[in-house]
Amino acid sequence: MSQQVPSNTLAYFFREAFRRIWVSKRSSFVAVAMIAISLLIVGIFLLLSENLGRAVTIAQGRSRVEIYLVADASPAQIAAVDRYLAAHRDFVRRRFVSREEALRRFASYFTNLDPVVKQLEGNPFPPSFECDIAPSIVQSAPFGREVKELRATSGVDDVQFDWEWVRRLKRIVNVINIVGLVAGGILALAAAFTIANVIRLTMMLYREEIEIMRLVGATERIIRGPFLMEGLLQGIFGSILALLLLFTAFLLARRLLPPANALVWSFLFNGFLPWQKIVALIAGGMLAGWFGSWLSVRESGEEMA
Amino acid sequence: MIHFYHVTKRFDAYSTALHDVTFHIEKGEFVFLTGPSGAGKSTLLKLILRQIRPTEGQIVVNGRNLLAMKRSQLPYFRREIGMVFQDFKLIERMTIFENLSFILTAIGLPAKEHKKKAYGALRAVDLQHKINYYPLQLSGGEQQRVAIARALINDPLMLIADEPTGNLDPDLAQEVLEIFNDANLRGSTVLLATHDRDLIQRSNRRVIALDHGRIVDEKPATAEKPASRAESLFVNWS
Repeated sequence: MSQQVPSNTLAYFFREAFRRIWVSKRSSFVAVAMIAISLLIVGIFLLLSENLGRAVTIAQGRSRVEIYLVADASPAQIAAVDRYLAAHRDFVRRRFVSREEALRRFASYFTNLDPVVKQLEGNPFPPSFECDIAPSIVQSAPFGREVKELRATSGVDDVQFDWEWVRRLKRIVNVINIVGLVAGGILALAAAFTIANVIRLTMMLYREEIEIMRLVGATERIIRGPFLMEGLLQGIFGSILALLLLFTAFLLARRLLPPANALVWSFLFNGFLPWQKIVALIAGGMLAGWFGSWLSVRESGEEMA
Repeated sequence: MIHFYHVTKRFDAYSTALHDVTFHIEKGEFVFLTGPSGAGKSTLLKLILRQIRPTEGQIVVNGRNLLAMKRSQLPYFRREIGMVFQDFKLIERMTIFENLSFILTAIGLPAKEHKKKAYGALRAVDLQHKINYYPLQLSGGEQQRVAIARALINDPLMLIADEPTGNLDPDLAQEVLEIFNDANLRGSTVLLATHDRDLIQRSNRRVIALDHGRIVDEKPATAEKPASRAESLFVNWS
């Protein structure tokens, strides 16, 4: 006999799932809250890593190399470094900063140190070159070789570039991502087990209906569908609640954190999660909900003596 | 239609519900299954629905060997059987229409056909005017008629009833029996498990009597008043 696929099956699953959630409000709330808490924690970590990631991207876009020459570098040595930089395309927009200009900059940046600058007997600042570098090449092996060659060039005292702290920041972002995923994963699993217990209780409540359905020839798909849908809906509600809480916390943090710490919070609360991560969070909630209900319904097959 | 070949059902080493039971019910027959409590009637019905498996022997229902049947085929097999229970098994939170519609959803019938089907089944038991009532607003007899309507709604090949008149007074029991008779006249094979001696005597149908898990008597359908061991069993109990 061929299996009929009724047009109203999905509507029946939804209707029954909503009704059962409503009937078991308290236990459903616990399940939804568990999902929300676990996804909120994942969301906080995602938000942090997202904003740190943005900071990394901005920093990468501004990557700069500074080649400090020895204080008494000869014009020939300066010209040699200039030629080297001109010959390598990785170094774009190079600027020569003379010792005088370096001193002027220092005086203008640190005006409160003006008396100290005036007391200086000579100019302690070395001449240097400043170059921009493309973010994509900073970690490349050729660039590393070029930096090494520059450091070995006559008249060059040191080569500094800001990639080191960017790399550290990236490592932090990775750690935050991993911690968030592990903590969120463990909590989501706990939430799934909570949902499994809630669904198990609901199934106990409806065992007579389930028995009647089996006796009249309902397939397991029809019997289990509303319970799976119930878990799925609890997961969706939980993830939406988590996102609402996260967004509220995000707005409050932006508004309430004191301006004195603006450097910190502007760094951490630059923007909310992109839509892809929002969708991923909702999908995570749905998955946890579905998995929880699946754990229950898979044990619910007809016992046959 | 229903064939039992040397069927034995043991639940454990000390309790054997059925011993070497063999009988055959042909298509279109109306058969009473009778016997005292613990005789094995409910076990036999459960075996037909394949709620349980026999320990020994073979069961063939509507051409299907129940032992060889896959679990996935079970729902489709059960749709061919209408089952009526002594305690009605109506869902109290649902109206009568919803109780019937729920079954149609369970077997995958589109919603637009539910009203027509439910109304037709309720008309067969003369309860169409109570389609929007809740079970607890109905009398016991009415609830049992709804349960029968639910069993009939899918035009089953077989109608199986476990003590359907057990909770009813004699007049209501007769009304319920008439509904089974009508279903039988329309072509359904009926197997009705009952204690009700009067009901069996009035109907003059074939009787299979069980006692301690064995068939102790079989009486063919007859127009005459029955006088058999099945009858004497009743005499002994009363």
